[in-house]
Amino acid sequence: MEDFVYFFSFQDPNVAMVVAGITLLSISAAMVGTFTFLDKKALLGDAISHAVLPGVCLAFMFAGSKNPYWIVLGAFITGAVSTYAIEWISRSTKLKEDTVIAAVLSVFFGIGILLFTQLQQTGDAALSGLDHFLFGNAISIVYEDLMVYGILALLVIVCLLVFYKEFKLIIFNPGYAQSVGLPVKRLKLLFNTLLVMAVVTGIQAIGVVLMAALLITPPAAARFWSDRLKIILLLAVIFAVLSGIAGAYISFAVPHMPTGPWVVMAISFIAFASFFFAGKKGILSKWYNQRNYQQKIHRDHLLKSLYQVRERNAAPLGKADILELFPGKEKETKRFISKLKKEGQIEEKSNHLLLTPTGLVEAKRVVRLHRLWELYLAQYLNLAPDHVHDMAEKMEHLLTPELEAKLDASLDYPTQDPHHSKIPRDHDL
Amino acid sequence: MITQVENPVLEVHDLTVSYGRNPVLWNIDFTLPKGSLAGIIGPNGAGKSSLIKAIMGLLEINNGFIKIFDQGLNEVRKKISYVPQRESVDWDFPASALDIVQMGTYHKLGLFKRPGKAEKALALDCLKKVGMEKYRDRQISELSGGQQQRVFIARALAQQAEIYFMDEPFAGVDISTENMIVDLLKAMTAEGKTVIVVHHDIHSAPKYFDWIIMLNMYLVASGPTEKVLTEELLEKTFGGKLSLLSDAAQLIKQKGFNPLKS
Repeated sequence: MEDFVYFFSFQDPNVAMVVAGITLLSISAAMVGTFTFLDKKALLGDAISHAVLPGVCLAFMFAGSKNPYWIVLGAFITGAVSTYAIEWISRSTKLKEDTVIAAVLSVFFGIGILLFTQLQQTGDAALSGLDHFLFGNAISIVYEDLMVYGILALLVIVCLLVFYKEFKLIIFNPGYAQSVGLPVKRLKLLFNTLLVMAVVTGIQAIGVVLMAALLITPPAAARFWSDRLKIILLLAVIFAVLSGIAGAYISFAVPHMPTGPWVVMAISFIAFASFFFAGKKGILSKWYNQRNYQQKIHRDHLLKSLYQVRERNAAPLGKADILELFPGKEKETKRFISKLKKEGQIEEKSNHLLLTPTGLVEAKRVVRLHRLWELYLAQYLNLAPDHVHDMAEKMEHLLTPELEAKLDASLDYPTQDPHHSKIPRDHDL
Repeated sequence: MITQVENPVLEVHDLTVSYGRNPVLWNIDFTLPKGSLAGIIGPNGAGKSSLIKAIMGLLEINNGFIKIFDQGLNEVRKKISYVPQRESVDWDFPASALDIVQMGTYHKLGLFKRPGKAEKALALDCLKKVGMEKYRDRQISELSGGQQQRVFIARALAQQAEIYFMDEPFAGVDISTENMIVDLLKAMTAEGKTVIVVHHDIHSAPKYFDWIIMLNMYLVASGPTEKVLTEELLEKTFGGKLSLLSDAAQLIKQKGFNPLKS
């Protein structure tokens, strides 16, 4: 708790610097990532985040120490070369892009690991901290790092804001963008450059490979919540910043804990939460709606059975008779009986369940929809009367009043279904 | 049967176009008068869409040239509007109908500027012209095929161009949308705009178009509808490909590079 207060009060200028750095890089990653995600190029981000490793190692070898300028330059060069290689190979061979991405990614990462191992074996003290680039360590950021990575991230953010409408158009409809005279090729090159830069800014704080998660997971989570690009961008940025700071805090509170894996945990948690709980697109609301619909079916069937008894002038049903009608669903049926009673749709008189006037209207509606649909299938789809029942059984719960009116009109307000049963109306007795 | 005209709005001169390494159009040469409502017809694989894409500079030209208003494409871009095939885009993209129509105003804004009030008013007006004002804030994936096509047409209208190229605007739309679009196009050509439409239904073509361009990898005919819609020319257009052209295309495909590339 003490750590928590200390960290989030930002009284320590080092902490404030780390938070500023991780915030900037999270914003730039989430913004570039949103466009990449919408362009269905998520894998490209993954490839780049692997391909910067050899560049980082070469920079170490060249500079002999952890110098952010050399590291950014090295990472940028190998990242850019991998992007260009992927594009060139897919364009000039018949190989599909996913194959090319997988191959290029492994080659670059393989070389990176080779160089990395080589560097570690030299045991040079100046090389300590190299492993931070694998899994990230936000706390190791010093002022010079912040300047380099922060300015890069700012540059990415500003570019994306300036070319917002152009990138949007190019991703949605590249052919059209070219037809109105946008320099599509140059803008795509610029975008790929920004993508590489966004990955490079994250290598020290998040780590090379895990940086891909900070690009793609925030927009994937945000997409569940909105259909507006601006809101998706904003949400992606918020999600990324929250998980970035969470990762940095854990690295701060637990000694020697890398940042990258915790950032990935946090952002994945947000993504899963979005998947389950997001508005009408979330899986939970889909389950909920499905369950409600099942319940409506059961309720409609209950009312219908009471109506049919009445229609046949048969002896009224007791509670036990009704429970027997729905075998295996006793508990639910009991609950619905008491619910319908409370709603005033049915009443119990001398141990018999009867429809009240409001219940009768509702029951008639269900039976009417069923019979109208049967008649519709018979008349318009030329189906035999013995083929229409099963579908009508499903449609009776689904049809809206608007569709009912349309159905009635196209059948010219019929009085009988194909089995010569009466189609019940509100004004009948 | 190729009718050439004086002072054409569009001149396609000896045009040969490949899709990748595959030649799809051979030596297309025609001219089009101002104010025509022209239909490009032909069988599948005849190169109808490729012709429009080549004119819009989206495909590499191997031979020949194109002039619009007697100028090159880049000089007259602001007078041209292109409506791509509806299936060519991902309709799950997070945007509303109004967002898409506003894209038609981007090219006049230039870099750095966002669409403002004037652009929004123009976009709304164009949505109204295609009967879609009620759906302005609707997510585009929730629109029907016909409504999506209307949005695309509205975006083209927002460009306020002089010449319109439309790729299969009637594919997969309902009959009321088709009629609405045809009426709109006829009104546009009556005002002196020129409209060129890729069309797949030969039966409705004479009702819709006053000029017909018949393609079957080569130009079979180009001229006023009543002159070119003959039994003989239809047979040439739809009665199978010229086998020598197909063989030559096959030969080029096997080369591993495009020998037609200049």
